[in-house]
Amino acid sequence: MSEEKEILVENEKSPSDTGNGDKTESVSKRRRICDLCRNRAEGTGNVLEENVLVDARNVSMKFRILTEKIDNMKEYFIKLLKGKIRHEDFWAVKEVSLKVYKGESVALIGRNGAGKSTLLKMISGIFEPTEGKILTQGNMVPLLKLGAGFDMDATGKENVYLNGAMLGFTKKEMDKKYDSIVAFSELEKFMSVPLKNYSAGMLARLGFSIAVDVNPDILLVDEILSVGDAPFRQKCAKKISELKASGVTFIVVSHSMQSVKELCEKAIWLKDGRIFMEGEVKEVADAYTLDCQQNPQRT
Amino acid sequence: MINHEKSKANALVFKKSVVIMWTMVKKNIKRQYRRSFLGVLWTVLNPLLTMLVMAFVFSQIFGRHGIDMDYPVYVLSGTIVFSLMRMGTAQALPCMVNNYDLLTKTRVPYYVFPTSSVLSSVVNFGFSLIALIIVMLIRIPNGVTFHPTMLMIFIPWLPSIFLFSLGLSFLLCTLYVRFRDVAHLYNVFLTLWMYLTPIFYSTVILPDYVQSVLKFNPMMHYLDYFRDLLLGIVPSWQEHLICYGVGIAAFLIGYLIFRWQRKKFILYI
Repeated sequence: MSEEKEILVENEKSPSDTGNGDKTESVSKRRRICDLCRNRAEGTGNVLEENVLVDARNVSMKFRILTEKIDNMKEYFIKLLKGKIRHEDFWAVKEVSLKVYKGESVALIGRNGAGKSTLLKMISGIFEPTEGKILTQGNMVPLLKLGAGFDMDATGKENVYLNGAMLGFTKKEMDKKYDSIVAFSELEKFMSVPLKNYSAGMLARLGFSIAVDVNPDILLVDEILSVGDAPFRQKCAKKISELKASGVTFIVVSHSMQSVKELCEKAIWLKDGRIFMEGEVKEVADAYTLDCQQNPQRT
Repeated sequence: MINHEKSKANALVFKKSVVIMWTMVKKNIKRQYRRSFLGVLWTVLNPLLTMLVMAFVFSQIFGRHGIDMDYPVYVLSGTIVFSLMRMGTAQALPCMVNNYDLLTKTRVPYYVFPTSSVLSSVVNFGFSLIALIIVMLIRIPNGVTFHPTMLMIFIPWLPSIFLFSLGLSFLLCTLYVRFRDVAHLYNVFLTLWMYLTPIFYSTVILPDYVQSVLKFNPMMHYLDYFRDLLLGIVPSWQEHLICYGVGIAAFLIGYLIFRWQRKKFILYI
């Protein structure tokens, strides 16, 4: 029975991952459920083990890069007629497999363009992998950008609700959170001011305060572990470690080896879209730091 | 049991989308009139003033042949019905590109964006209806009467034109992701479309062949239907069939194309 629940949770995730529950997907999902039932007996296939939150199996993501950007019809049809539409395939992530266990936070590290963010977006369900598949369970909240969707013309208060809706909270739920969000951001005085009059630091603080006031099982974070001035940064760090202590599993993309070592148990070093090294966070982070010092040039 | 749980999860996603859409609609409406002195009052004033200009200009220039309706009411009904479709689709056209941040940084379902654009224009239409009622009240001495059929504006008329606008919006915003020319083309097309819709003239004054071409303009049918309701006429079943047939067809075509291209959006924006 408990195992069946696991499967259900896994399937509950899927529609929200892809955004829409359409027919073809629901058919394939139904098929997946059948597979699940069959595979449960064998203990393989699409069943997630109980304490695994994310299981990425051999995922790859291909982007097509047009050799020249065509965004108007004239060029498109001329080039099409001449047979000159060329794209280059670019594999941002190639054949990556990883498992994230409950309570065991993972850091994705690597140079710019190594595919860290792409991998994170695939885990969150924003990108669909070109190849391979990702199984997830539990409530997952992606925090890839602070205040994504902020409306600069609207007031701070309106934006708290707007941003909350983007993260999937109803107005009622946000009513409960509102006071603690505002208190955390220390922006009580500015909640009726349009965001365009905020300073960059204030924007970041508001975004961060909304973002951390969620209660997920998995938090996907892209380089936004702390914002603002030194005291606020400390507050952020404290909040993050509180979340961590309360059992939230983090998947973090970061260039700050120090915060990675503090927050995560495991690290995965991505290089040109492939896993270059994985293991204990200290080991991998140190190796990566050494590599950056020895080969500062991009390869 | 699995199906039951699954539909519950789907319902949850849908509920979340409704919250987002509602928030976005409010944002859209507020943004239109932010920092203006009269605020939301403009949603009512805007169609009123447009109507005044049009009624003044066209009653003098075109004459009113073949119009058996009070002319200001005739013009205003045409204006608000057409702008329901125009505003919704024109706003939806760039919505995928404008919300790039949300597409790549959050898990908001894609259909939320075009749908909330069209919903905003439906809300605006609601305000315009107030303007229409005001004009009708003023024109009571000139023989305008209120009919119970006007209630049919909300059902079944509004859903049919909503479906039509939504389908068109899905199609346009999908196209716009690939080809930015669509914005300019659609603008020109809208102007042509507006003049080919009997907003301020009656089709009676047109030559026969033009009239038979105009039969293929869906907006004319939505408008005729609407005006019938104002005049206290219950539209024929053929009109129902046309309005819903076109609405559902447009919605299905638009939505299917949107779905088909959906995964490619983030690659092209």
